[in-house]
Amino acid sequence: MNRIAIAVASIWVALAHPLAAEEAEAVINVPPEGSVSTEDGLAAWERVYEVVSNPRCANCHTGPDNRPMWSGPSYGKTRPHGMNINAGESRMGAETLPCATCHITSDAPNTVPHAAPHVGLDWQLAPVEFEWFGKSSAEICAQLKDPERNGGRDMMGLAQHLVEDAAHKGFVLWGWSPGGTRVRAPYSLQQHVDDILAWGTAGQPCPTN
Amino acid sequence: MQLTVNGKTYEADVEDDMPLLWVLRDELGLTGVKYGCGIAQCGACTVHIDGMAVRSCQTLAGSLEPGAEITTIEGLGAPDALHAVQQAWVEHQVAQCGYCQSGQIMQAAALLDMNPEPSDEEIDLVMSGNLCRCGTYVRIRAAIHAAADKLKEA
Ligand code: FES
Ligand code: FES
Repeated sequence: MNRIAIAVASIWVALAHPLAAEEAEAVINVPPEGSVSTEDGLAAWERVYEVVSNPRCANCHTGPDNRPMWSGPSYGKTRPHGMNINAGESRMGAETLPCATCHITSDAPNTVPHAAPHVGLDWQLAPVEFEWFGKSSAEICAQLKDPERNGGRDMMGLAQHLVEDAAHKGFVLWGWSPGGTRVRAPYSLQQHVDDILAWGTAGQPCPTN
Repeated sequence: MQLTVNGKTYEADVEDDMPLLWVLRDELGLTGVKYGCGIAQCGACTVHIDGMAVRSCQTLAGSLEPGAEITTIEGLGAPDALHAVQQAWVEHQVAQCGYCQSGQIMQAAALLDMNPEPSDEEIDLVMSGNLCRCGTYVRIRAAIHAAADKLKEA
């Protein structure tokens, strides 16, 4: 192989690597320690809450009944997912009807309104500890800062989780480009990562209501 | 692209974003698989990929794993050796107009593979994504129980 070919090959390797910088959908910029006041941290949290309570996120962050929800302007009224869907304790329908029956795994864009959306990861509900649907800002805040209920993550862990999911064209990224007539999550993925880090730097303050 | 359908290898010159449903029906002439909605709402287009029931209207040709084994209603059983689900369907005279039934049968066969003795509730959990405008649901359920018994005896 000549040198140009090697250079081209290594570019391909770099592009194919899911976390290569050229591909990153969002980057992690941690604010300097002590640079975010509690007040600004709470404001950042409120933006985080707007994202996580958006139908694009909350519809699949449901509780121990393992039923995804249909809510938001594209559905009209709030109701459980049609077709009597129950994702079971596997949270991906392994013991009932697998989510993948309809939600294929593909990073192709979602273009058809009302069709089953797809992402680059296998479709599933979030773990049951991450129950967000119908929960208050204070409740979700307490869950997200509790390593027992957030997958053992500190603020960096949370931010990395978002960035890595996005690098696989996963659910997080899809929330901002859901396709069809679905409402998208507010702000942007980068703003969301920045807000998680600002909230974390402020000491993860939570509203008290 | 190369596809394996019902144990046969086919060559199809299609775009990556063509739904498998159209590859099967329009390119390969396998018209047992039906188009009902194109948006994962009805189940008429259900086929198996590596034994799992999927909606072929949602499956993009380009998303198929190389070597994936696709099974359609044409390959589930043979006319002289019907699959237990097909036999039960005939015995219970399940079909009315028949349009939804190839999807129903493919979904039911996958259900029994996973759960050889489903309760009524388990049948409803798995089969509720397969709509029947003729309302044959009661016979579908009875035929699934009958097919389960047949498979147990076999
Ligand atoms: S045609 Fe695929 S689900 Fe209706
Ligand atoms: S038999 Fe007519 S749609 Fe089901």
